[in-house]
Amino acid sequence: MRRFTRGQFFKGMNLTVFTFAMLFLYIPILILVIFSFNDARIVTSWKGFTFKYYLQLLDNVAIRQAFLNTMLIAGLSTFISTLLGLLTALGLENKKLKGRRGFMGLLYAPLVIPDILMGVSLALLFNFLSVNTGMWTVLIAHITFCVSYAVIVIQSRLEGFDYSLIEAAMDLGAKPATTFFKVKLPLIMPGVIAAALLSFTLSIDDFIITFFTSGRGFDTLPIYVEGTIRRGTITTINALSTLVIGFTLLLVVFTKRVRKSLISTF
Amino acid sequence: MKSNTNSSKLDYLLAAPTLIWLTVFFLVPYFIVLIYGFLTPDIFDVKFEFNLDAYRQLFEGTYFRPFLLSVKLAITTTLLCILIAYPVAYLIARASDKLKNTLLILIIIPFWTNLIIRIFSWRIFLSYNGVLNDILLKIGLISQPLEIMRTDLAVIMVMVYVYLPYMILPLYSVLEKLDFTLLHAAMDLGATEVKSFFKITLPLSLEGIFAGVLLVFIPSLGTYLIPQLVGDQRSLYVGQVITYKIKNIPRNWPMASALSFGLLILVAIFLLIGYILLRKSKVRGVV
Repeated sequence: MRRFTRGQFFKGMNLTVFTFAMLFLYIPILILVIFSFNDARIVTSWKGFTFKYYLQLLDNVAIRQAFLNTMLIAGLSTFISTLLGLLTALGLENKKLKGRRGFMGLLYAPLVIPDILMGVSLALLFNFLSVNTGMWTVLIAHITFCVSYAVIVIQSRLEGFDYSLIEAAMDLGAKPATTFFKVKLPLIMPGVIAAALLSFTLSIDDFIITFFTSGRGFDTLPIYVEGTIRRGTITTINALSTLVIGFTLLLVVFTKRVRKSLISTF
Repeated sequence: MKSNTNSSKLDYLLAAPTLIWLTVFFLVPYFIVLIYGFLTPDIFDVKFEFNLDAYRQLFEGTYFRPFLLSVKLAITTTLLCILIAYPVAYLIARASDKLKNTLLILIIIPFWTNLIIRIFSWRIFLSYNGVLNDILLKIGLISQPLEIMRTDLAVIMVMVYVYLPYMILPLYSVLEKLDFTLLHAAMDLGATEVKSFFKITLPLSLEGIFAGVLLVFIPSLGTYLIPQLVGDQRSLYVGQVITYKIKNIPRNWPMASALSFGLLILVAIFLLIGYILLRKSKVRGVV
């Protein structure tokens, strides 16, 4: 009879906590979406359905500029950090490389140090060098915090790599370059895509490091949203947030590849 | 194939750009932080004159309270995350393969949604005339709106909310590899459910807990945005103090540098403690 009671206690508890966690994770998002259609100046009580904040979004030049800035920085930093990450991961495949351990330490360090410290240290570096902050300093900062993640994600893909495939290609007379582009690169491509996705996500999500490294006049979306919340004019932010959430959902739900890469990131 | 000197040179060449990049933009800036701590504050940035004020204030404990608050917040957040994340990760790990992926996606979606937007949604939820108070008033549970916004409770709630996925995912990945037949064996041999959990499941998932703690505790120490947007502005955390010293005029960059350096040392100490604990548990054969 024990067979039936086995695990029942924990199962019940786990399910309760799971349900609670799901409500906890989704209720705020749900509220945000609902209130983006709320026809009231004060966002907190329901006054009827409206679409006007979405239309206001289209007219808002500052938001459009912030969106373009975000995409520009995310695109460039993703491309550069993924490329750097790929090259580095390939170089570090050589386990006998002198100084490999030290380099790995340098790669992991940004992951275990609070973001704010990277922001402060870069802000001081740019001040020390008398560089005007703006697009270029933000781009440098974003590459700096993305590159470690890119290396590590691609490295984990290279971990179980079957080198007999390379030898087979070489034995069949393929040149090293051909072997790399026709055999190795396609095989590690899922890792490269996962690295790019992670970099992109980190870049569009970052507030604190951008906050320290962007000058006046170069706002990314998180910077713009934070400023707007602080000033209190938040009616369009709900609509903007809903669009961002919708975009995230579409990407995750309808693209199997993204989903697979995301899961393999962890 | 990889061991000859020619390919070794190529490997260095491949790794070099990132090495140089991280040296210039990650390592060197910390030296500048160290140096700026010994300079004299100016209204907008610094004067290049030697000055020990900032470090003196750091060691005299002028800023002890923000550090204490941050450590307390990081510990509370981490413990609550473990308590909630463990059952969730366990449930996902034991679900069928198809369900598993769906559940994982459910965990990842909020984590993929913009941080500020998620914090903002909590402000709508928790504020004085917000949704939570509305509901509680309507069902008659309270007669006056609760003041949750701008309290330490709000900070803790949002911190747990933001960091929960970072605890669930590493825990899930160790629990998923756990051999559950061990549990059945223990129970067949007469161990109770609770006993077999503490004797088998928990020790075997320690590595996941360590990874989760690393991902939650360390960033929590330096948090700025969450207390800034939902916290009580009379109790400042270290991240806020550092940011104010950098951004608000009159600026005090040497103080911000000294505080950043203090935070860096604190992080290093906690990492060292974690490393020693992990090694110990490995030596004991637990992990």
